[in-house]
Amino acid sequence: MNIKEYRVSFLKIIKFVIIILVADFVLGSVSQKIFFSQKTGKYARATYAVEKSNAEVLIFGSSHAHRHYVPEVFEKELNKTCYNAGAEGQQLLFHTALQEMIIKRKKPDLMILNIDDSFLYLSDIAYDRLSDLHPYYDDHSEALRPILGLKSNLIDFKLFFKSYQTNSTIIHALRYYVSPQVDYKGYRPLYGKVNSNTKKHDQQEVKEYIEVIEKDFVNALKTFINNAKENNINLVFATSPTYNKVNYSENKSFSLIKEIAGKENVPFIDLFNDTQFLNKGELFHDPSHLNDDGAKLFTKLLADKILEKNLIIK
Amino acid sequence: MLFNSFEFFAFLPIVLLLYWFIVYKHIKLQNILLLIASYVFYGWWDWRFLSLIALSTVMDYFVGFRIYESTNKEHRKRWLWLSMVFNLGLLGFFKYYNFFIDSWIDMLSSFGYQSESTWTLQVILPVGISFYTFQTMSYSIDIYREKLKPTRDFIAFAAFVSFFPQLVAGPIERATNLLPQFLQKRSFSYKTFSYGAKLMIWGFFLKLVVADRAAIYVNAVYNNVENHEGLSFIAATILFAFQIYGDFAGYSLIAIGTAKLFGFDLMTNFRRPYFSASVSEFWTRWHISLSTWFRDYLYIPLGGNRVVKPRWLFNLFITFLISGLWHGANWTFVFWGALNGIYLIAEVLLFKKDRKGIFNVLITFILINFAWIFFRANSIEQALYIVKTIITSPGRLYIGSGDDIAASIYAVLAITILFLVETKKEYFDNLFSVSRSRIEILRLGGYAAVIFMILYFGVFGKSQFIYFQF
Repeated sequence: MNIKEYRVSFLKIIKFVIIILVADFVLGSVSQKIFFSQKTGKYARATYAVEKSNAEVLIFGSSHAHRHYVPEVFEKELNKTCYNAGAEGQQLLFHTALQEMIIKRKKPDLMILNIDDSFLYLSDIAYDRLSDLHPYYDDHSEALRPILGLKSNLIDFKLFFKSYQTNSTIIHALRYYVSPQVDYKGYRPLYGKVNSNTKKHDQQEVKEYIEVIEKDFVNALKTFINNAKENNINLVFATSPTYNKVNYSENKSFSLIKEIAGKENVPFIDLFNDTQFLNKGELFHDPSHLNDDGAKLFTKLLADKILEKNLIIK
Repeated sequence: MLFNSFEFFAFLPIVLLLYWFIVYKHIKLQNILLLIASYVFYGWWDWRFLSLIALSTVMDYFVGFRIYESTNKEHRKRWLWLSMVFNLGLLGFFKYYNFFIDSWIDMLSSFGYQSESTWTLQVILPVGISFYTFQTMSYSIDIYREKLKPTRDFIAFAAFVSFFPQLVAGPIERATNLLPQFLQKRSFSYKTFSYGAKLMIWGFFLKLVVADRAAIYVNAVYNNVENHEGLSFIAATILFAFQIYGDFAGYSLIAIGTAKLFGFDLMTNFRRPYFSASVSEFWTRWHISLSTWFRDYLYIPLGGNRVVKPRWLFNLFITFLISGLWHGANWTFVFWGALNGIYLIAEVLLFKKDRKGIFNVLITFILINFAWIFFRANSIEQALYIVKTIITSPGRLYIGSGDDIAASIYAVLAITILFLVETKKEYFDNLFSVSRSRIEILRLGGYAAVIFMILYFGVFGKSQFIYFQF
């Protein structure tokens, strides 16, 4: 055994590891500074919800939450401050993690989770997109570890590297520095109308799930409910209207969500297939998303139902 | 186990520590450790298929002896045939059985005979079967050709067949190069070790930053062909050229680098193939271990170029046709192989001299990209649709929205870095190089920068290496 060769190698490897760690710390810290200094865009909205928002009503959900819930309408109708923390493309795991980070600092009066019918169906993308939470790991490791650790036992090791925490966020940050993305307390309106001539093919959304109930998502939903209960926060589940009438009776995911909500006494305001919206092209941007007019009408309708059911005191 | 998994980052240091600190005194113990490590590495994916590797190992170990010891030419040939039939049988059953049955039924139905496909089976394709069967076949053939003596050391032979760095996606090593390395003492050398680590770092950059970034746009277009137009197909195909290069060359570099950490030299598998000035040159730079395998064990036995011209051209064509089929049980791969064969025949017929220069590099790149359409498409019909759309309906370039745009920008940036590094290596290799700098901090800093880029721009998911499927 050539001891000298081993010793030289060992020292050089140590030197190299130190250089990597220093480079990671310096460049990763710069990257984090850039990340948390964003003023607009999806990351800025999540950061605002986690670190700054004092809203009394908080909205959670995917694009259907982000594009359908107009905080200004809620504020007017409910006389409460409101922020839309909906995140496009994200699913239950993300919303639960976001909720946990938020309630560590602020407990709102009411949380509304907009339910997608496929929330409990198996979706790899739901796990992959959790990388949006990585930048928050340093400050919220306890809240995030159970969720980020679902697909990896080595999450602490991976997120030890600061540059990995902000992986691939720089272009997003630069883009919205150059061209800020306008939102209204987290809500971003859509415009345009659905034409009755819109081809069936163009009306179909890309399916990002397999129709098998995923246990992790069921647990995330239950955690979301428990978090609200433990912190004395009123919780409402709601669904948004769709352009085409859809039969959800065969949808196992949706049925299970309703069943869990029933068992846990979570009020469920179901506006799927609401007749005020069905086939009203002027209220939809596309068959799955309301336009600004539709969103305002929907938010007003929902606010009325919340008041009607005494789910919040005005 | 995948190279780009965090499990591998725990597995590799453990094996290295045991290898260089515990069993370093005995070659036999080192080989036993490598054998166990290789079986763990492979079994991590599916332990059931370890039996195939073990079977192939035992078969070729004994067949090798039989060939060597037989004095009767006919007997030697029979033993060789046994090895060929066994290894090709494994490959044929697990990889091609359903393909040939389906193709046969399709052919019958085109003649009006309708038949239910009741003969197809639910067969899982064992990872890397195309690689290790070719490697063991080369062992038997080389003994038959008296280029190699069989080894009596069964452990060394088993470790050679299953050597984990190159087990699942090559380089396809020749027994003449790799096997003797298992029989001689390996000494630790910092120089070799650090060179191996550098190759691995660059390999990970190619895989995680170049290939997996490019894959996002490529998949968005090729998986939704009906929603895209000509310009998007051109962009996706060019990106695919870099995706498959980054993926496969990246894997090869990680394999070669990992082997070096254990003191082994594997053959170079890629030499900047997109700088080739002709398709024939491309095939001397792309997947060299496979091209030379087909050259030595198929093309030359068929007569190579030492036959009359029509036969020579036939030899070229059939070699590429079979090479295409080796890549996958789909007519798209067969067509891709045939297309490359046609390119080479055209070069033989049209050009007397070797071609050089940037213009020829560009033309070759375009030809190779055209062939990649057939390689990447899901069916021949889809490939033809893409070709037709490129010609008749260039349309608009799909750039996606939101994060899709960012993914494409990262891909272009990564390809630009790759292009600059390879241009320097190809044309200005004698100029200053960070990796060869005498200033240590600069050298180490350069590699730390690549690691930073991997951590910051890499795609970390569960993406597999494309060549695993072959």
